[in-house]
Amino acid sequence: MRYTEFTPYDLVLLAQGLGVTVALFLGTSLIGLAVGTLWGIVRYYRVPGLTQIITFVAELLKNSPVLVQLFLVFFGFPAFFHLDLGPVGAAVITLSANTAAFVYVIAVSAIESIGRDQIEAARVFGLSRWQVLRHVIAPQAAAFSIGPLTALLVNQLQVTSLISVIGVMDLSKIGATLNLRTLKPFVVWSVVGLLYYLAAKLVATLGARIERRLRAHTAFRGL
Amino acid sequence: MRFDLTVLVPHLGFLAEGALLTALVCGLALVGGVILGMVVAIARTSSNRVVNRIAAAYVDLFRNIPFIVQLFFFYYGLPEIGIFIDAFTTGVVALSIAGGAYASDAIRAGILAIDTGILEAAEVSGLSRRTIFRRIVLPIALRTSVRPLGSVLINMILTSSVLSTITLNELTGQAKIVASDTFRPFEVYFVLLVVYAALTYLVSLGIALLHRRLNRDLSEPVG
Amino acid sequence: MLNVEQVRKTFGTVTVLDGVNLAVKPGEVVSILGSSGSGKSTLIRCINGLERLDGGRITVDDFDVSKPRELAEARKRSGTVFQLFNLYPHMTALQNITLAPIEVLKRSRAEAEDEGRALLASVGLGDRAEAYPAQLSGGQRQRVGICRALAMRPRYLLLDEVTSALDPEMTSEVLDILAKLASGGTTMLFVTHEIEFARQISDRVVFLEKGVLLVDLPTRDFFAAGGGLAQPRVAQFLSKMRKD
Repeated sequence: MRYTEFTPYDLVLLAQGLGVTVALFLGTSLIGLAVGTLWGIVRYYRVPGLTQIITFVAELLKNSPVLVQLFLVFFGFPAFFHLDLGPVGAAVITLSANTAAFVYVIAVSAIESIGRDQIEAARVFGLSRWQVLRHVIAPQAAAFSIGPLTALLVNQLQVTSLISVIGVMDLSKIGATLNLRTLKPFVVWSVVGLLYYLAAKLVATLGARIERRLRAHTAFRGL
Repeated sequence: MRFDLTVLVPHLGFLAEGALLTALVCGLALVGGVILGMVVAIARTSSNRVVNRIAAAYVDLFRNIPFIVQLFFFYYGLPEIGIFIDAFTTGVVALSIAGGAYASDAIRAGILAIDTGILEAAEVSGLSRRTIFRRIVLPIALRTSVRPLGSVLINMILTSSVLSTITLNELTGQAKIVASDTFRPFEVYFVLLVVYAALTYLVSLGIALLHRRLNRDLSEPVG
Repeated sequence: MLNVEQVRKTFGTVTVLDGVNLAVKPGEVVSILGSSGSGKSTLIRCINGLERLDGGRITVDDFDVSKPRELAEARKRSGTVFQLFNLYPHMTALQNITLAPIEVLKRSRAEAEDEGRALLASVGLGDRAEAYPAQLSGGQRQRVGICRALAMRPRYLLLDEVTSALDPEMTSEVLDILAKLASGGTTMLFVTHEIEFARQISDRVVFLEKGVLLVDLPTRDFFAAGGGLAQPRVAQFLSKMRKD
């Protein structure tokens, strides 16, 4: 490829990259939230064996580089399980699992933040474990978790950039492509950085807004 | 395919070299990050508005832009303005700058938590602002922020894996080579994942120990 | 001479000190009495420059505490002992004492440490020089606090309710030392609730009420029926404090 100046089409490329990043971020966040919460519920029910396995896997995912996790799924799974997922498939699995591990930790501390006495009191009134979870724990845990979850999602948005390394055409990969073609690293990476920054701020702002609403809600009920 | 770890045995020395490089990079970046973090924390607690704003902007930017984008900005950008540094130096610099943003938050919290009475005692005894910072504020803040600084270090270790993308053959970089030499990516990356998790676990144990040692004098009950 | 002239201090809309005049001559021991919120501690904080004045003037040996250039000199001449000790938690008792002499007065470390150890020995803490504040009792901490102030060889010692955070036994530990200092000729400005003690060691007693200095009399006159006790507020305060 010849080195060339920027063209208007580059804006389309950047928009496409941003779209891929946002889509993968949203998709894996939703899956991660669901799976992580499910793991939290398994722990709440104290399923023997399963709880320990989940805790161990979550610790492993939290304490190892996402890049290595990506390589394991992208390069390792095809070789070992003959399971060729492609870059996008590997990215979805890895990012979802990684988000789930952190969501699990938040869910556990959210449930623990609700006093045993409150849960026991509800049980004394004859509510089933599920009813307690549904009506006593869930609303409070949600309010408790919004702050940490927002921080997590801001972080996970940045983590998505690593999937460019295995070839997903996300915002970072588009950046790398433009960088190679134009040889204008400062411009390219500043623009890419700015787009990530704005996206992160958007997530943080939305999180803060939801948190305010939830808190206002609980405060109102408290009156 | 059988899960066979023996294929890795001939490559252990090679991987250890990578681990050593990871340790070196992270060690240097920790020093750089903490020094930068101290400077920025001081700037952020300063009463000078401009200094304060600049420091806050630095923290905000580097916490909300993916590390890989920051890394490429420096790696491809610096030669553009005539600064030619190798991948190792670039990696240390980029990790220090990113880590500094997080370290400054930890140190700033440590500074703000200092009892104002202690600072007033220092002030009335005639100590200069500089001396108060050097002899009283920083030592206390660093001691109380050992734990959060430890989290910064752990994040640095995990993040350093990204340096493999700029041809720095630290632990992940070496593992990539072994994976392609042995055609056993699953085993290689699985072991790598466990090694990172074990490494960060050991580091967190060390930090807990250090925290207890350093704060022994601060926390002993009144006798 | 420590001079407080027409000092005014307000916090927002609250006037804490309202035209206070006070002079302390070298060698004098002056106690400041008054109910809590009367402005006693604020007066001390104005003298050592921790609060900015809203009116009036304070000079320590002719150095004006409101002038940044002179504040450093003024501070060298006064030493403050705090209610909550405010020791540096990461330093040993000895390090707490020697920091300012070494850094501000540029004494040699050896000299400062010798003097620090001597001071600690004089308050009965000769064997605790290497202890950290957290390893000391409240009374011991306050004794270190006094040594820290004395190590700067201040001309005026400012004591801000130094026994309020201590139980009776520890209070007497600290008061014994202050009595020794008073009889040794140390100049002291002493904010306290310990009325009997103030009576024993002070040359003069002043009484603050809502930021106004109501009474300023030699100790004997202050506690005499026709002197301070003639003021209804003082009589009320004294009888209340004695009951407590």
